Amino acid sequence: MEIRLAGVTKVYEPDITALEDIYLNIDKGEFVYLVGTTGSGKTTLLRLITREIIPTRGQIVVANTNLRNMRNSALPFYRRELGVVFQDYRLLHHLTVYENVAFVLESTGTQPRVVRDIASRVLDDVGLWRLRKHYPLQLSGGEQQRLAIARAMVNSPSVFIADEPTGNLDLHTSEDIMQLLLSINAAGTTVLVATHDQYLVDAYRQRVVELHNGRIKRDERRGRYFVDDEF
Amino acid sequence: MAELKGTSGEEGTLSMMSFKYIMRDTMRLLTRHWGLSLLTLVTAVSLFFLLASSALFSLNVRHFVSEVEDDLVISVFIKEGEDASNLVANLQEVDFIKDIRVIPPEKGLEHLKAKIGSQARAVTLLGENPLPWSVEIQVIRSAFINPLVRDLLSFPDVEDVVYAGHLAEKLTKVSAVLNRLSLSVLMLAIIITALVLYNTVKIALYTREKEIGIMLLVGATQTYIALPFVLQGMFLGTLGSLLAVSMIAGAYPSVIEIIKSTLPFIQVIDDPVLLLRFYVILVGTGMTLGWLSSWFAVHKYIVRACCPD
Repeated sequence: MEIRLAGVTKVYEPDITALEDIYLNIDKGEFVYLVGTTGSGKTTLLRLITREIIPTRGQIVVANTNLRNMRNSALPFYRRELGVVFQDYRLLHHLTVYENVAFVLESTGTQPRVVRDIASRVLDDVGLWRLRKHYPLQLSGGEQQRLAIARAMVNSPSVFIADEPTGNLDLHTSEDIMQLLLSINAAGTTVLVATHDQYLVDAYRQRVVELHNGRIKRDERRGRYFVDDEF
Repeated sequence: MAELKGTSGEEGTLSMMSFKYIMRDTMRLLTRHWGLSLLTLVTAVSLFFLLASSALFSLNVRHFVSEVEDDLVISVFIKEGEDASNLVANLQEVDFIKDIRVIPPEKGLEHLKAKIGSQARAVTLLGENPLPWSVEIQVIRSAFINPLVRDLLSFPDVEDVVYAGHLAEKLTKVSAVLNRLSLSVLMLAIIITALVLYNTVKIALYTREKEIGIMLLVGATQTYIALPFVLQGMFLGTLGSLLAVSMIAGAYPSVIEIIKSTLPFIQVIDDPVLLLRFYVILVGTGMTLGWLSSWFAVHKYIVRACCPD
């Protein structure tokens, strides 16, 4: 699923410009890192793509559908094409690991047998099957992150969006998470990752889009976290 | 380029499976905060009991007033030498008159004798019949009596009009006050019940705020998210009214017995078909109230949560 942003500006009331005049094309199956300092507009960009907010100016087109013109009744069907991992995981603590994943499929009216099959397979893929009866608060940070990824994967999304997926994790766990993201991308899913993790960006070189004060400062194929002359 | 799958699809159509999940979620909502559900239910039962009692009281007042009104008669006495035909011809055009009975002097005398019993001889002592032609009129409601009497007194053939004017006036006033009072109680009970149900659903919404946010982001439809809350409100409204109706239906026959034995002149409603209809309407009101208040609570919240700005 390809994503096109043309002249996108987002101004929050009263006059905070989070993004300004963004032009960005992301092709189907691409892996893109969004980097930049806190407040540079990374999360706003992701929220525009999930259509939690709409741009003040400009157009966002995803798979030939202009998000601005999308009817609210069509929004749930669009969001089923997206897998989103939040910065704070947003797991449901009163549900077990299995239920956290199954709940997504149930929300879209999937048959119980199919729910069981898909949820089991996805939990197995992220290595959490043995912990399926645990509650999120009984899991480590890395396990919670893997659960959040499993929940985002369960709908087989065309676009996978992750906001700081390795934020508070140690290096080893971060590498595990990165491997998961790469395997999702290898299956043909477009992956968009907002990150501050310099090590991962440099170790797993992919396209890097750097934002600065709401504008695109740099867009590099197989880029690094910092441009070479910044060292 | 590939089109976005399913974006042409309309939400609102729910699969059987979604409906099962919705029913399960409704049960979860009711049991997760069972203390709150119980409190809402007890409040709803109390308010519906108040609502049903005041409605039943109002119905009985109306019934009683209409029974008394049925017995109210205006007696019109015609001037000597005239008969009642002119007056009757005029009265037949009046639509609020229920019954007109013409009483010739002989018949009037018979009635009088029957009424005064042992003192009837006093009347025969006069020799000739002193009574004129008279007309007895019944109206459909006591409120029409006074204006009609005023018209009758201005009629040239009419000598005098005798009626229970004071009673008619009092009855009209008491009936209006009681009706207004029970209507106020009824409205108050409806408003409080709606607010309590609205509040319960709102609290349930806030406790599931995070869950709803995630559901919206993973593509759950508004209907799928909103329906368990609407069903929760409907369930509490229906059960509340059903329990209140059961209590009223159980106690009402005993109340009738007590009234009949202590105040036998008061007519109360004891028609089972009418009562059943009343109970069904009450349960329907509970269900509708539950549905409306929860729908208002959910609609505003879900629309705000899912529609980006």
